[in-house]
Amino acid sequence: MNRCPDKTQWVLYAAGELADRLRRRLQAHLAACEDCRREQEAVARGLSALGALDPEPALRPEVLETLRRRLAVAAAHKAVRPTLLATVYRYRWVAAAAVLIAAALAYALLPSTETPASRWIDEDQFVAEMAEITAGVEILESSAYAGVMENGNGEKAGPADTIEGQSRRPPKDFPNLIGATG
Amino acid sequence: MTGRVNDPENVEESLVAFAPRVYGLLRRLVGRPDVAEDLMQETLLRAVRSLATYRPEGKFRAWIFCIAVNLARDWMRRQRHEPAALLGDDGEVSPDAVPAPDEPPDGPVLRRERRRCVEDALARLSEPDRTVLLMRYYGNLAFKDIARATDEPLGTVLSRAHRALRKLGDLIPEEPS
Repeated sequence: MNRCPDKTQWVLYAAGELADRLRRRLQAHLAACEDCRREQEAVARGLSALGALDPEPALRPEVLETLRRRLAVAAAHKAVRPTLLATVYRYRWVAAAAVLIAAALAYALLPSTETPASRWIDEDQFVAEMAEITAGVEILESSAYAGVMENGNGEKAGPADTIEGQSRRPPKDFPNLIGATG
Repeated sequence: MTGRVNDPENVEESLVAFAPRVYGLLRRLVGRPDVAEDLMQETLLRAVRSLATYRPEGKFRAWIFCIAVNLARDWMRRQRHEPAALLGDDGEVSPDAVPAPDEPPDGPVLRRERRRCVEDALARLSEPDRTVLLMRYYGNLAFKDIARATDEPLGTVLSRAHRALRKLGDLIPEEPS
């Protein structure tokens, strides 16, 4: 190996995480390359410095006690509360039966969406109402063209009652369409 | 730290076995022992609650440490907290207090000094660089496992590790042999 390897390879080399074959090649390179040797030594020094830290710092007994208690509670809680999916799966036949019963009840109890015939007015009624409306419009028009200036009570129309000379109030013989419901 | 997590009877004890190392990582990440204790508990509780989402193809240990790192990052984001110094003596039980049988009387002092030196150097690293080293050390994870757990390319993880280790190597004096 003549070319210097990537510097990150020295991390794997120092950590002992290389395959034997690659490790031997790097070793051979180190013997011939002063720069890489310095690089590798610096990386290895950093890695061994970490050994000064206590890998398993002691925990206070009360912390460990609390931890044990909390873990036991969490594990027990988890054991008695299976997930929703697991519950549904366990009772899948009961769930299917419940869905079928609910569907049958809904079909039986909910009102039909079909519109009853009684909600429609029949043709005779429609013709009669249209005739009444037409008659009212004709009376209105004839009154307006005749230049009626009185209001509906036979009084003389004032400025507030007229628009361009026409009364805004209906004449006395105007049929009461709103109240006329047969 | 090698409990059989697939055994429901054994899950709690397996998780408790992770507690010291998870706490160690969190302590170096957030810089506060009290917060690290809380986050460690939260990490392991989340693990027990989300065992169903754990993908067996990944390492369980990597998954646990990934939860811890995410919680620490959330906390730091909320606090906008960068630890100025990652702890000196804070009253915790220290294994440095008594000299080992084959070391000189000033051994504990030298070890404590060196540990503080490493802690200071770690505090100078950026959070992502520091996290890679801490996952490697406390999680005892290979770099490829860290890459898989954090969903980052291996090249990115190795670049971070290289930058961080070079800096540590430059900042920390050689250990006297």
